[in-house]
Amino acid sequence: MPDVYTQEWYEAVRGAMNDAAGTLRSVPEGRFAVAVEIEGDGVSPYVGDEGRRFLLEIEDGVCLWYRELAPGDGEHAQAGRIDYRFRGPATVFDELAAGLLDPIDAALRGTIAVRGDMRLLLRQAEHVKALLQAYTSGVDTTWPLGGPPYVRGHDAAEAPTRA
Amino acid sequence: MRDAYDAVIIGSGHNGLALGAYLARCGLEVVVLERRHEEGGGLCTEELTMPGFLHNVHANYHTFVDLAPPQADLDLADHGLSYVRPPVQMASVFDDGTALTVHTDLDKTCASIARFSEEDAETFRRLYTEAHGYVNLLLGTLMYQPPMSMKELTRALSVLGVEDRSEFLSVKLRREPIDAFLDQHFTHPKVKAHLAFHGAVCGYANDVPGLAMSFPLLVGKIDNWHVCVGGSHRLAHALWRDLAQHGGVLVVDADVDHIEVEGGRAVGVVLADGTQLGARRLVASTVDVEQTFLRLLPAGAVPAELRSSVERDVAHQPWSLFSVHLALREPPRYEAAAFDPDVDQAWVVNLGYASTEELNADWRAVRSGDLAGTCRPNAAVNTLFDPTDAPPGHYTGLLRQIAPYALADGGPAAWDGIARWYGQRCLDTWRRFAPNLGGDAVLDWVPYSPADIPRKLRNMVRGDWMMGEVSLQNMLDRRPLPELAQYRTPVDGLYLAGSTQHPHGFITFAPAYNALQVIAEDLGLQAWWRDV
Repeated sequence: MPDVYTQEWYEAVRGAMNDAAGTLRSVPEGRFAVAVEIEGDGVSPYVGDEGRRFLLEIEDGVCLWYRELAPGDGEHAQAGRIDYRFRGPATVFDELAAGLLDPIDAALRGTIAVRGDMRLLLRQAEHVKALLQAYTSGVDTTWPLGGPPYVRGHDAAEAPTRA
Repeated sequence: MRDAYDAVIIGSGHNGLALGAYLARCGLEVVVLERRHEEGGGLCTEELTMPGFLHNVHANYHTFVDLAPPQADLDLADHGLSYVRPPVQMASVFDDGTALTVHTDLDKTCASIARFSEEDAETFRRLYTEAHGYVNLLLGTLMYQPPMSMKELTRALSVLGVEDRSEFLSVKLRREPIDAFLDQHFTHPKVKAHLAFHGAVCGYANDVPGLAMSFPLLVGKIDNWHVCVGGSHRLAHALWRDLAQHGGVLVVDADVDHIEVEGGRAVGVVLADGTQLGARRLVASTVDVEQTFLRLLPAGAVPAELRSSVERDVAHQPWSLFSVHLALREPPRYEAAAFDPDVDQAWVVNLGYASTEELNADWRAVRSGDLAGTCRPNAAVNTLFDPTDAPPGHYTGLLRQIAPYALADGGPAAWDGIARWYGQRCLDTWRRFAPNLGGDAVLDWVPYSPADIPRKLRNMVRGDWMMGEVSLQNMLDRRPLPELAQYRTPVDGLYLAGSTQHPHGFITFAPAYNALQVIAEDLGLQAWWRDV
């Protein structure tokens, strides 16, 4: 089982996404670059104050690559135009990766900000749903520094404190 | 002025200017043509009453300041544009001396609602919190994209399970009026009346089936009303500056006589004075569909069925607005301030609608060509938040009342005979709630009737300030007609980019922004604005 946010983990997520997309009758044509910005929130042990940035590229429904950007790396140099951007706090992304938080819920509640061509996103709702399910539950992930749930602002009352 | 431009844009409202500025930033040679003496269209600000009193003749409420892409893309703040977001956004004052206030502070709004119903206050908190979470996502989806069909939209929401995740979003809303939503979720008539009033100011009548679908989004923006400092024309000036800075040209007093079409393609325009302007790549019309297809285009340029559809099927709002613009010595001091002192600092004030039934009776009357049974205008004093719009120590005032365009007795022309009388009725209502406005507090006032609207701005057909009915039948990919909803026309190189298009009027910029996406695709322009 890969450790979260390692290259091995990205590859596993990518594989899960592609497996999920492979079961669909139709996937969006064309090439899309997606940027993911995870903001350090002082709670997740995996993301410092400077945050972490990821890029993935999808072509004809297949995730070609999924990688982390090093500090100072330019998005455009690696992916050209960015078509979608997802931004949110580290705790939320950790909980998504751990399958503890529903990504549609997170987007609807504004916990994760989504930018890009929403019309295309909605038209490919099955594909979007499959990719999100792969991200949230398609990979058995290990959490070497301890996994979520941490104490969370949005439902702190129910969440246990991380030891 | 040159003989030819890459892009010729008809109409210099906010949509025309914004489209021109974007295209100029793409390196196109752009000209924006304006029939009137100045740019801005519905953004016009004029000294209607007395020197120094700046009245927003049409657009007064700016609600998408933080969402509309042109604000940042076109550096409008750098061009001198600024806004104030009043802390007390809206209020309702009622005949019994009570009042309800909506604040930028949610806790204060809920506290105000709780004075009528604690249950409604809690419901409002949940609704606002939920809607505030998704409002930008959904408005970004629905507003700043060429329109999807209702079928596509509801299918996607169903696949993603959105309905299961929301207390307030439901597929059945697309069949229901706002009233049904209010009755389902709220209990107190005054709370429902205020929320319905807010919808009405947004152009959404609470008794029209299907508009409930938009209601959660309206609530998500209920505290997002902004005063444009210096008057709404400052937005037009900022847009013009950006256009000019990037080489675009604005020509005023330029009445377009017709669009020239050769080989099925729009190749230019001819002005009323005979001036010919070539369009190398596109012509974009931001005026009404009727002018574009029945007056500006040669009869044979589009299929006869389309002309017939334009004549027969383009739907306009079956209600308009009667306005009174005032020069004041002092701001209103409401009797209801004894109940809630914040009403004296509220920007948009509902003068008396205390139930949705009262509103509905007026909708019915107005749609029949009758005046509202009881005059209950809404009032706004911009000077409370922008002292530059009046001489020192003085204030501008604006009253707006829903009203028919064509009076049952005498049609639109009959307004000229009754405008002063009806304006006095509106003013009397205001004085009833704010008695200090009697005596000499009002220096001067002028009525501005529904009949005046298209006289000044020809594209607001039948006094329709939304440039098309706001209804389920005229929404998304059906606005203004299914065959014209995607900003293209049957004439190559001719685009529609005004408020006739999805989503509708109001200062959203969305028609121009969405038309821009289509134009960029057709012309192969690099979409510098689209990088997320």
